[in-house]
Amino acid sequence: MLSQTDNALLTLSGPGTPMGDLLRRFWMPALLSEELSERDGPPKKIKILGEELLAFRQTDGRVGIVEQHCPHRGANLYFGRNEECGIRCAFHGWKFDIDGNCVDLPTSPPESSYKDTIKLLAYPVREWADMIWVYMGPREHMPELPQLELGLVPAGHRYVSKKRQDCNWVQSLEGAIDTAHFSFLHAIPTKDEAVKLDILRKTSAIGQESGLADRMRWVTDDPRPKFRIQSHDAGLVIAAGRKTDSTDLYWRIAQYLAPNHALVPVAFPGEVYHGQTWVPVDDTTCWVYTYSWVPDRPLTNAERAKYATGLSLHAEIGEDYVPKRNIGNDYMIDRELQKTLSFTGISGVSDQDAAIQDSQGPIQDRTREHLGPTDVGIVEFRKLVMAAARALQKGDAPRAAAKAQSYAVRAGGWIAAPEKDLATVMTERFGHPHGYVGHEHGLAE
Amino acid sequence: MLSQADNAFLTQAGKGTPTGELLRRFWMPALLSDELPERDGPQKKIRIMGEDLLAFRQTDGRVGIVEPHCPHRGANLYYGRNEACGLRCSFHGWKFDLDGNCVDLPTSPPESAYKDTIKLLAYPTREWGDMIWVYMGPRELMPELPQLEMALVPAASRFVTKKWQDCNWVQSLEGAIDTSHFSFLHKVLATDEDAARKAMANAALGDQSKPDDRVRWVQNDPRPRFQVLSHETGLVIGGGRKTDSRDLYWRIAQFLMPNHAYTPAAFPGEIYYGQSWVPVDDVNCWIYSYCWQPERPFSNSERAKYRGGFNVHSEVDADYKPLRNRDNDYLRDRNVQLKENFTGITGVSEQDAAIQDSQGPIQDRTKEHLGPTDIGIVEFRKLMMGTARRLGAGEAPHQPGLASRYAVRSGGWLAAPEKDLAAVMTERFGHDRGYIGNQYGLGD
Repeated sequence: MLSQTDNALLTLSGPGTPMGDLLRRFWMPALLSEELSERDGPPKKIKILGEELLAFRQTDGRVGIVEQHCPHRGANLYFGRNEECGIRCAFHGWKFDIDGNCVDLPTSPPESSYKDTIKLLAYPVREWADMIWVYMGPREHMPELPQLELGLVPAGHRYVSKKRQDCNWVQSLEGAIDTAHFSFLHAIPTKDEAVKLDILRKTSAIGQESGLADRMRWVTDDPRPKFRIQSHDAGLVIAAGRKTDSTDLYWRIAQYLAPNHALVPVAFPGEVYHGQTWVPVDDTTCWVYTYSWVPDRPLTNAERAKYATGLSLHAEIGEDYVPKRNIGNDYMIDRELQKTLSFTGISGVSDQDAAIQDSQGPIQDRTREHLGPTDVGIVEFRKLVMAAARALQKGDAPRAAAKAQSYAVRAGGWIAAPEKDLATVMTERFGHPHGYVGHEHGLAE
Repeated sequence: MLSQADNAFLTQAGKGTPTGELLRRFWMPALLSDELPERDGPQKKIRIMGEDLLAFRQTDGRVGIVEPHCPHRGANLYYGRNEACGLRCSFHGWKFDLDGNCVDLPTSPPESAYKDTIKLLAYPTREWGDMIWVYMGPRELMPELPQLEMALVPAASRFVTKKWQDCNWVQSLEGAIDTSHFSFLHKVLATDEDAARKAMANAALGDQSKPDDRVRWVQNDPRPRFQVLSHETGLVIGGGRKTDSRDLYWRIAQFLMPNHAYTPAAFPGEIYYGQSWVPVDDVNCWIYSYCWQPERPFSNSERAKYRGGFNVHSEVDADYKPLRNRDNDYLRDRNVQLKENFTGITGVSEQDAAIQDSQGPIQDRTKEHLGPTDIGIVEFRKLMMGTARRLGAGEAPHQPGLASRYAVRSGGWLAAPEKDLAAVMTERFGHDRGYIGNQYGLGD
């Protein structure tokens, strides 16, 4: 439970808010690369952290992200011309490059230096892992891109999508690092094992290959996993151990990576890894960038086709990356299905998550919640992120921003003897107590 | 005319407002029973007096009305499972019964007492008169259900619908107890007998469905003389019009605290109509509309007629929104307005809705100009606002404690002009305030 003030601190990310300032010290996905597919193509309006911006891919292929309004008379550059390495206002022809320099000011005499005094707000941009990233913080504090493994593997090994969500980003992220909900929200309430397995394969909330039925059973049968949390340079390892048929524990281990990434706790060695990154559009809407990758092989076309039509965390999306099952159509809830094969009656793991997270309210009122032992991951996440936001207000920069390599970690599942502590389990599963795999991609040990 | 402060006082019904607190001392219709037809069926989101709630019919047939957000992490129980006498959250399986007790909390160990500390806000409900009623006030002051006659007659002798309206509930109720508007708003212009009969088929003046004497009297006398009598649970509002003799034609409505009104049409043997207004928020309301016949069941053809829109019953879609509504200008037809009826809008209910919505989302009563035919409205406001003020000062309303005194009728009568309203009432109903509870064993 949070006070109203703390809930505001945690959830509000507009310019000048403490959490907004913190988020602005990190690189944020702004678009999928595919959204600006064409050089000199149409500019695109975007909104991030409450700021209305314009993105365009210029003649040389580089992407600019700038404020929308021309400094001359405030016309929106969205209606301008994306041409010859710059965006030119349609009103009086003022032209700007991706760094915000005014490169042509045809309404002043050629000899005038007025042009050199004119600046358009422009944020640094990087293109990495099929996404266009933006840095909206103080220029002198710009960090390296976080070395998420999906960006380290060859492009053929990953799949990236995005989806819009109709709630504050924090409760959606909290839903992802709360792995206790798998015993309920994604449960398949049928005793027919064959039917259950078939649905599992189609929705893939639990894992992809062998042992699927066992894992689902363990998750369903133990709704009170024992949680263990470990902090590291880039975030938190959030692990939940459930009972199995032997004395061993079935560990499902997620990663939270500051400030807005989470990796899912599913993959056994050789399986597909999944992760998500939340980017606030404003305080009641967010983009969820969703990605899957395999370190040691390319994804097949069949796998890509499955993700494209909605599988695991990838939503089946319609136009403009809005999920087909969304708040506007009640997520196409089927009450008959809810009585038989689905705990929610909603199809799709991603859509089940979205429905329940949106239903917490545009911004969840955390003054009324009642947390319990399975919510400790959420508690630790809030402590970390709120302390970082408070520290930044006092002048202490967030440590994680400077530790780009520490983002090269994995999350996943493992089965281990009950007496083993989490660091041991992590080392068994990933070869490192925090799941670090950067050295496999040429980063430091 | 009201001051801005008084207008807000009268019309705002949210939690903590004076009128909102008054309304919360009474049972309110929350749904038609029809809306939750199935045990363990889909739960339904509802909104009453600005409060978002969830209604569900559980395994044993009883109905729960609860706050929608799970106390755990605030997920909406709308997406939960209605099963085995309770509502289970889809997020982590917390389960609640219709009294709001947490009956299962699977994320805590079975031996934990955490469950017993968790409560979901739940309001008492009753099912009565084909409606699901909810009481949203202080539990220790919960009254009996108001003994409206429509619920005392056998189910076959009543018909109940509801309709959405796009304005504050008070101005809609004021439209109903203002019986002088019948001379205009519902007027039939057609002079040709057949056309008039057709227009009259939906008229509100009686059940004969023909341009009879009563219709003529109403149309010819736009200045009925009003008399208002107060009684234990509300007001008798009588409007007397000239007839062809020296007798007066009385049309007598009832207002029953705090949100019910009966229409003034029925002669003995005819059908009685009433309505109950329930604020959704301050600019929308549900109107529960009902009719009943104390002496006989309704025929199937009568029911079909009501369903298609008749008198206070509107023609509605699957979500109880009138087919002729604000968004389509009530399908007003200028040609019809020139030749057939006063508004060009088809249906008495829709004519009422159009004119009431048109007063604004919340009528600005600082700009109105009331006259002698508006005294029913004036008395209604005095009663409501006086009661709400006294409640604010700590004095509970007495009407909730007098449930049986809601068993009254309203209707029409012809009487000599020297008779006062109490005498007319006694002639018409056998009681000077229209009480008929004695016919149902509720005492004299």
